[in-house]
Amino acid sequence: MNNLFTAKRLRWFAAGIVIINGFFPALWILFTSLKGEIELTAKPITYWPQNPVLTNYIAAFNDQPLPGYLLNSVIVAGLSMCLALFISTLAAYAIARLNLKRRNLILTGIIAVSMFPLVTLMVPLFEIMRGLGLLNSYTALVLPYTVLNLPICTLVLVSFFQDIPRDIENAAMIDGCTRMGALWHVVMPLAAPGVFTAGILAFVNAWDEFLLSMSMNAAVAYRTLPVGIQMYQGEFSFPWPTISAALVVALIPVVTVILIFQERVVSGLTSGGLKG
Amino acid sequence: MNKRTLYDRIFDPGETALAWVLLTPALLFIALIVVYPVATLVINSFFDIRLSRGLPVAFVGFDNYAAAFSDTMFWRAVKNTLIITIVTVPGALVVGLGLAMLANMPFKIRGPIRLALLLPWAMPLAFVGLIFAWFFHSEYGIINDIIRRLGGEPKIWFNSPSLTMMAICIATIWKTSSFMALILLAGLQTIPSSLYEAAEVDGASKWTQFREITLPLLVPSMLVALIFRTLTAIQSFDIPFSMPGPGEESQTLAMYIQLNTVDYLDLGYGSTLAVFMFLLSMATTTVYLRYVRGDKD
Repeated sequence: MNNLFTAKRLRWFAAGIVIINGFFPALWILFTSLKGEIELTAKPITYWPQNPVLTNYIAAFNDQPLPGYLLNSVIVAGLSMCLALFISTLAAYAIARLNLKRRNLILTGIIAVSMFPLVTLMVPLFEIMRGLGLLNSYTALVLPYTVLNLPICTLVLVSFFQDIPRDIENAAMIDGCTRMGALWHVVMPLAAPGVFTAGILAFVNAWDEFLLSMSMNAAVAYRTLPVGIQMYQGEFSFPWPTISAALVVALIPVVTVILIFQERVVSGLTSGGLKG
Repeated sequence: MNKRTLYDRIFDPGETALAWVLLTPALLFIALIVVYPVATLVINSFFDIRLSRGLPVAFVGFDNYAAAFSDTMFWRAVKNTLIITIVTVPGALVVGLGLAMLANMPFKIRGPIRLALLLPWAMPLAFVGLIFAWFFHSEYGIINDIIRRLGGEPKIWFNSPSLTMMAICIATIWKTSSFMALILLAGLQTIPSSLYEAAEVDGASKWTQFREITLPLLVPSMLVALIFRTLTAIQSFDIPFSMPGPGEESQTLAMYIQLNTVDYLDLGYGSTLAVFMFLLSMATTTVYLRYVRGDKD
């Protein structure tokens, strides 16, 4: 009996649960997307696709402008990430390094923005953007996403800046660098991993956002992926295999990002979480 | 030290001045995109602004607030939101703690485990809603298939308000527990193993070790994760929106606010409801912060 519960088996069991829990929904969507009409409506349902077909992928690209949605998501998430990184780098450097009274109060103030309900913000922003004629534009999403990402980016960057020894900077300044020169040439290269981490978090947050995107940019030309994916369903029809194929395509960018940068993402998430 | 000339002051500002210059873009953005809109929100909540009717904007005092109090749709939305919060916050904590404990075992290869915890975090909520709607499909969904295989009676999930809420809660717990697990895992890894070794020597059981060492030391990371989880649960929108039940029975407060603002263009009433949402979030944060402070005393 005891042999059944050896430490090694227990570990395999634990790993199995965590991995199945994490991957199953994505895998199930992948399986569904490869099933043809007949197989999908067969009962009892099949798990592993018997005769994999690619027709659902062709339908996913034909029924909706999927590449356009992808491009919109990349533009909105990319631009807001760059803006958020630029603004929060300056702010984080001031908070972490410069002679500033009440630095903790300022940092708390910036972090407090993340406590703010997005729905509350959506209502006045919708009115403002509507008044400015900015509904259905990249600006309508890039500006709010930038602000929403300021707290986490600033938090991650402050902790990275604090870990860089001051002497390196001082040496550069003695050699004739200005403060901004030292920030750009000496501190930034050392803080690059932090900038990277903050950037990934900002990108994924913007990539995932749904409520603002749906409210501001309902027009086909400006829809981002999470909104566009919802458009495959008709009034009474749910073409599940096509939706699944579109979901698989839409998941590829995010999966690639976390596959390559998983360690950075984890360190960013937990530093933000633990020090916040 | 020499007196600084005007030239010096502009091109080589003192450290404090430079700090404020560097902070300006961030503060400006927050002022323009958070503070100013919220101020207009509060003001709008006292006006009748129904853009679809083309009527002039009129001051109505607390009429919108009175309307909300007698609006059954509003109270149903509040009820649904509270159910989702009360079920999914502890649910995500328990499942997340379980996942964190499992993931904290001494594996040789950590990559797949970490990826399995990151994938649900990175997946957009709207996608998760759609995927779980497919899981709970009455004919071809895997949940009903499993129920059938176990000899149970398959259910038409999205025909019943309570079953729809259950499906929404399960999807939400799946999506949010992995972030919880990542935070708790980081917390677990800071607990020195010498504490467990000492407990082992004293003959403490695994359960006692968990209760007396693991849980108390995890409280700080749990609290941070719980604040954010509760705040996002109050705003639940994406998943309930992607998993609609019969009629609008499973509408949440965020969905009702969005409907009034964007679809009905009733900005006065939408603003009033948003003020309510704002107060709900502030109250939640205050309660947690009081608890955190009380904990430190």
